[in-house]
Amino acid sequence: MKITLTVNDEKREVETSPTTRLLDILRDDLHFTGTKEGCGKGECGACTVIMNGKLVSSCLVLALQADGAEILTIEGLSKGDQLHPVQEAYIETGAVQCGFCTPGMILASKSLLDRIPDPDEQQIKRGLSGNICRCTGYTKIIEAVKLSARKLAGKGGEEDE
Amino acid sequence: MSKRIIGKDFKKVDARDKVTGKALYTRDIYFDDMLYMKVKRAPFPHAYLRKLNTDKAESLAGVVKIITAEDYPDLNKYGLIYKDQPVLIGIGEKMHYMGDPLAIVIAETEETAKRACELIEVEVEELEVVTDPLQALKKDAPVIHEELSGLLTDRLDKKLNPANILCDHYLEKGNVEEGFARADKIFEREYKTQHIDQLPLQSEAGVGLYDEDTGTVKIWAATQWLHDTQADVAQSLGLPKEKIRIIQPTIGGAFGKKEDISVHIHLALAILATKRPVKFSYTRKGSMITQSKRHPLIIRHKTGVANDGFLTAWQTEVIGDVGAYASSSPAVVHKGLYHCTGPYNVANVRGVSYAVYTNNTFTGAMRGFGTAQMAFSYDSQMDLMAAELGIDPAHFRLQNAYEIGSSTPNGQILTRSVNVRKTIKEVLAMTEGGK
Amino acid sequence: MKKRGQGMATIMFGFGYGEGFPDHSIVSIEFEDESLLIRTAAADVGQGVLTVITQIAAEILKIDPDLIKISQGDTHLTKNSGSTSATRQTFFTGNAVKQAAEELLGKIYHYASLEFRSNHPELIVKDGHIFRHDDPENKLSYWQLAEIVSQKGEELKSEASFFPATDAPDAATGQADNVYVAYTFMTQKVEVEVDTVTGEVEVIEVNTAMDLGKAINPRNVEGQIEGGTVQGIGMALMEDQVIQNGITLNPDLTGYLVPTAMDSPHFKTSLIENEDADGPFGAKGVGEPSMIAAAPAVANAIHDAIGVRFYELPITPDKIKKALKDKIF
Ligand code: FES
Ligand code: FES
Repeated sequence: MKITLTVNDEKREVETSPTTRLLDILRDDLHFTGTKEGCGKGECGACTVIMNGKLVSSCLVLALQADGAEILTIEGLSKGDQLHPVQEAYIETGAVQCGFCTPGMILASKSLLDRIPDPDEQQIKRGLSGNICRCTGYTKIIEAVKLSARKLAGKGGEEDE
Repeated sequence: MSKRIIGKDFKKVDARDKVTGKALYTRDIYFDDMLYMKVKRAPFPHAYLRKLNTDKAESLAGVVKIITAEDYPDLNKYGLIYKDQPVLIGIGEKMHYMGDPLAIVIAETEETAKRACELIEVEVEELEVVTDPLQALKKDAPVIHEELSGLLTDRLDKKLNPANILCDHYLEKGNVEEGFARADKIFEREYKTQHIDQLPLQSEAGVGLYDEDTGTVKIWAATQWLHDTQADVAQSLGLPKEKIRIIQPTIGGAFGKKEDISVHIHLALAILATKRPVKFSYTRKGSMITQSKRHPLIIRHKTGVANDGFLTAWQTEVIGDVGAYASSSPAVVHKGLYHCTGPYNVANVRGVSYAVYTNNTFTGAMRGFGTAQMAFSYDSQMDLMAAELGIDPAHFRLQNAYEIGSSTPNGQILTRSVNVRKTIKEVLAMTEGGK
Repeated sequence: MKKRGQGMATIMFGFGYGEGFPDHSIVSIEFEDESLLIRTAAADVGQGVLTVITQIAAEILKIDPDLIKISQGDTHLTKNSGSTSATRQTFFTGNAVKQAAEELLGKIYHYASLEFRSNHPELIVKDGHIFRHDDPENKLSYWQLAEIVSQKGEELKSEASFFPATDAPDAATGQADNVYVAYTFMTQKVEVEVDTVTGEVEVIEVNTAMDLGKAINPRNVEGQIEGGTVQGIGMALMEDQVIQNGITLNPDLTGYLVPTAMDSPHFKTSLIENEDADGPFGAKGVGEPSMIAAAPAVANAIHDAIGVRFYELPITPDKIKKALKDKIF
């Protein structure tokens, strides 16, 4: 079957089977390889993308369900060389170690901040609880979300060396 | 001179590529005309392989090739320290755990490779499964590996079953009998830890191709030690090292799990057999069942302490579950033993450790390398001794902690950078607000 | 009811392979187009060794760290740097990079002194340039110098290997003089809250003091301590691959629990930097020691909270509920 989907503002047509996972379409067919597979069972959040404005695990979404959808992947977050404030915040707080959780984690953070622009610690923890990070212990990721909130509110939040 | 960059919160050099999704991890690498592969694993943890029928699998559309031990009878065993792990189990040979490889299936798509694996028919002769290292140590326990390990010492306790022991290690410092005689209180406790998966978020994967010009197999796969992996793949395939080239993509976490060979040798075989690019990715489940774990350790401490709060003797026995293959076990289990007293002065130490084969998933390196389990035991022991003696636990640690000139369980005299007492005082200051 | 408790643990970790195993790292540095290329096979698994060696090379050579590139690990293009394990990379590859950078700096002085017809004390290096102190306008960039050197048929590059020896312990007694290259120490004190009804344990606060010689990158070190500690909390409270009769019963993340953001405690961290170790700038390794103290500290804190000592990990809610029930009788 042929499906049409908009990925990072660009319309794409893909020849696929109805049961192919959105994760595979993004990675294998369209080469948006920033979307990672950590478990393939909806348990880790590495494959997180934003579909029609909502956070989804792309390993659980089938081609059929993705037909006509609008998708944002990590590659669509920065504009050219200009990083999104959440991406900047992840770098500045040291929230990135191996980076395998990072694309999903950043999209989950963005989605949280879209809903709650100034989240408290509990809201951040809950908002990210579907995304596993094995490296950081989450501390700096939580810091990154707080810094992102300040950046997005226009308070700069530069805290660099 | 003050430093410009050292000691500063310098931004990670690879962070920008990681936050934009540009960093290339193994599975993010694609080639034209690329094949996919899967490995058929053991259906039973301890059994002889009697029959392997690949006919149905081979006739599945999209299957390119199936490799079994018959196709490569001369492969050498592999392993990080002690080479006891087979590349493929042949007919009449024994499988030792659920991750043992029976056949390599190469197909046009990953889905096809997976389906073909399911179509392979396996007949085994089941053997008694040994899952508890204490059982494995008994004289009448089923033997897991036919050959005796070459690592055993002549000190090994004759009451134990040497057939299932990979290695034994000892500590003798001072005179423990005298130490216990001087003790006012003696504590004996047993601690147990569990199988833990390192669980790097990225599971094992590899992609590679055959370079016609140089006759080289080129593999991209995350590994904690490129040159060691290269050497082990080469010796296992009987090729010169130069014919195996391993390139490091971005690594999605490791924590010890990516020290062992995983995809590498099977992938190289698939590439050599097809001369086409091949990708091999483990599922999470496959990774958990097939690749190394943190060792479950049984740790028995007997410790003596005088009423004044000074330790007089420390005796430790460690039994480590190696699982089916050695991996890093010949280094991990006794590294735990060598840390048995923690950072505390004890003049009289005796210890023994056994690394014991079972039919469990093999254990290997994981952050801490035996010392994490040991720390749970020695610092629980310290805590309970402090409580029994009625001494403040921080003070008890402080009183016994190393300083310059202290001697470790190995008898190494510490001459430099021993600030353990400072760490205790600092934590007290942090939590009690003042020194 | 919720009960709070505090627990402490102090640990040591002897790092490097030690025990007489050959353990070394080889690194080379050369100039390439606009950049300085460090060749190493050291694997960055996320811990940040590539950042650490960039800092070390930039510090010694006094150049903009953005000009430093690190080659991709490749058995055919990089020499053996040993494994990323045993908490060894900052110490081993860090030292190798420091040595290689110092050797390269020496060569820069040597060749520049020929160009400037002066001796080393009269030369100053700054921002990737070298010049005479009395004539700062007339300067050569390292890259210009490299070009001049190559015209002479020589090369401006360096290679270094760091290869400290250790001793194999005696097989019968485990005794030896120098078993590990160095030891890192750490103390942690944690506060937990135990829910006596559900048996759940929450780690609320973690206070850490680490004796690490020197933090090349303090934020990375904090990241190691936080990440390591949360892995240790996983070990203490939840992680357990259940293998029954050789068969794993929970080979997925639904059955095998790891800490999530909900399990992340508050951290206070103090780095004790006496710059007294043999690593680069006095540093010791931190990767493994950072995870080791959490399990005993949490177990000790649980004992403090509910008066029960656990000898078997993980200390799951079921075990706590059972222990509390048994305690009543
Ligand atoms: S890969 Fe989709 S949630 Fe883990
Ligand atoms: S940074 Fe490695 S999993 Fe999050």
